[in-house]
Amino acid sequence: MADRIDVIEMFKQAAFEVDNRRLPDLKGETVIATLGMDSVAIMELVSWFEEKLSLRIPDEELGHIRTVRDLRDTVARLAPDRQFAA
Amino acid sequence: MIGVVPALDSYEGEHVRGFTFLGGKGPGADLFLSFHELRLAAQRRAAHYAAAGLVRGDRVAVIVPEGEHFIPAFLGALWIGLIPVPLYPPVSLGKLDAFMDALVTILNVAKPRVLVTTERVGKVLWPAVGRIPSLERVITSEELAREPAGPLPKAVAVRDDEVAFLQFTSGSTALPKGVMVTHGNLAANTHAIVVHGLKADGARDICVSWLPLYHDMGLIGCVLAPVCHAIPSVYIPTLSFIKNATLWLETLHKYRGNLTFAPNFAYALVTKRAKPEQIARWDLSHVRVFGCGSEPINPHTMRAFVDAMAPAGLKPSALLPCYGMAEATLAISFVGVDEPLRTDRIDEERYHREATAAPAANGSAALEIVNCGRTFPGHEMSVQDDDGRILPDRQIGEICLRSASVTPGYWQDPEATRAAFRNGWLRTGDLGYLVDGEVFISGRIKDILIVNGRNYYPQRIEWLVDDIQGVRKGSAVVFTRPGRASEEIVVAAESRAEDAAAVKTEIVARVSEEFQLAVADVALVAPGTLPKTSSGKLQRRKTREQYLNGTLGRAGRNGNARLALARHLALSLVGRARHEVRKLFGG
Repeated sequence: MADRIDVIEMFKQAAFEVDNRRLPDLKGETVIATLGMDSVAIMELVSWFEEKLSLRIPDEELGHIRTVRDLRDTVARLAPDRQFAA
Repeated sequence: MIGVVPALDSYEGEHVRGFTFLGGKGPGADLFLSFHELRLAAQRRAAHYAAAGLVRGDRVAVIVPEGEHFIPAFLGALWIGLIPVPLYPPVSLGKLDAFMDALVTILNVAKPRVLVTTERVGKVLWPAVGRIPSLERVITSEELAREPAGPLPKAVAVRDDEVAFLQFTSGSTALPKGVMVTHGNLAANTHAIVVHGLKADGARDICVSWLPLYHDMGLIGCVLAPVCHAIPSVYIPTLSFIKNATLWLETLHKYRGNLTFAPNFAYALVTKRAKPEQIARWDLSHVRVFGCGSEPINPHTMRAFVDAMAPAGLKPSALLPCYGMAEATLAISFVGVDEPLRTDRIDEERYHREATAAPAANGSAALEIVNCGRTFPGHEMSVQDDDGRILPDRQIGEICLRSASVTPGYWQDPEATRAAFRNGWLRTGDLGYLVDGEVFISGRIKDILIVNGRNYYPQRIEWLVDDIQGVRKGSAVVFTRPGRASEEIVVAAESRAEDAAAVKTEIVARVSEEFQLAVADVALVAPGTLPKTSSGKLQRRKTREQYLNGTLGRAGRNGNARLALARHLALSLVGRARHEVRKLFGG
């Protein structure tokens, strides 16, 4: 079985690639908007996830995603056939 | 000169030219609507509006992200004299509550009877609907697309002074102002843009836009101007651009688009994101106009873009700095279509001290200001001092406008309207100077921060920072500094906190959470050292000036601040110091 997808680790990588930002203390409950990224960088990060996981987060769901865990739950729901770390 | 409604009405039988919507038929499948079909689509929407009992002058809020639905819904409203109120959809991460609050505030000013939205966005907006008493019903864009039961209505003969739509400013503010854009304003400004500014021809030119459709540059520049002058256009969903900025240039390449507009930040973003193999594949040699406006233009960003895209054949003369604002419908000035980016290097010391834009001598500190070109025939622009006197060339003052493109004012806000005009001139709130009719914008009088094309009101950010532990109450000042690529946010505040780093981290996190704004720098200084007026009010412009010249926080206590002011006065009889004197003596 493939390794479980760890959204927190992916997020760290995305933040570095998109915004050159290191987030060693990132947790599931971290509110994404407190990370100091601007709205354009955040949307680029969403796009990075969509590409890596081959899925698309519907626009109207974006407003509900506050924390890293919200993002994990959303992508886990959109990719039901894949295994995600808690 | 032709207005939107008569132009649209003339397109019966125009099957060749029209609008293309990327992904309009599903992922990867583009939708083409000829101008003939667009006219029909607008008529259908108009029939539905009429069936819902809407009459001329009623407002219709339009919150529709997809261009292929938004444009017919908007044009359909104009067709029968309704007043559409376009608003931005909720598409940022985790900001739903703030979005709803802003939406409710705006719509309770506009008082629409109907809200048009999509089924999907409608589900999200539902909680806000009950908070807008004027709203009688929500109509989805899916319903509007259906064949109406009744006959298709004829276009109304709109008057030039009739309000066409309301343009609310893009930022969130406690009291939003809706700019009234009349049908006459639209005819005058789209004519100025297409005929005088771009020298465009619908038989030859193709416009490509990813700009939001609820915003003046996207809506007027890239939808209504093409409608008035039959210019084929290609629309990229804004969110697709934000997620993948290279799609913009890819589309210009693929569709042979040759006219496009974007704010400064988009040029920085696409320069950063474009890969060498993409640039090598693209052909941008046919692009006549890369327009840049709606936020301060950073010459370094523009040069970096031109350099990066040289292998794609981009002509440096394609860059077209422009200046505009919603109160002038959209466009105020353009540089000539065949001119390269030109800047003016002025003496920084004399700019700050004497409010004069003197050419900088070699070696002296200089400010580089982008030339934003000339205004259009029939449009007047002047630079005025605080008392409304017209200033000569190279004197810094407020840019003021007079033309058929200028709004009659703000929707049901006579007070704001009165404040915006003086002796028949619209006061733009922008600082700048003229040289032989060409305008140079050097700053803003109004303390609006413009970042990534959006307006932010510094007071709201300051209120938030003031509440953070470790920050001296009422001491926060927020302003912008020129960044590497676009304007950046700086927070200055007074603090006694021992752990300054922790306070700074908290400020960055809270501002980011609340406004989705990245704070580039936090300057914490000792209590009593930020510049204040005699009445104790913080001075944002002065704080910014001190920050930029490295003297922030060095003024010491109030006594020293007064000494600094006295010295400042002694140095100059004109310019900023004069403002200080007026304030000190209550003038």
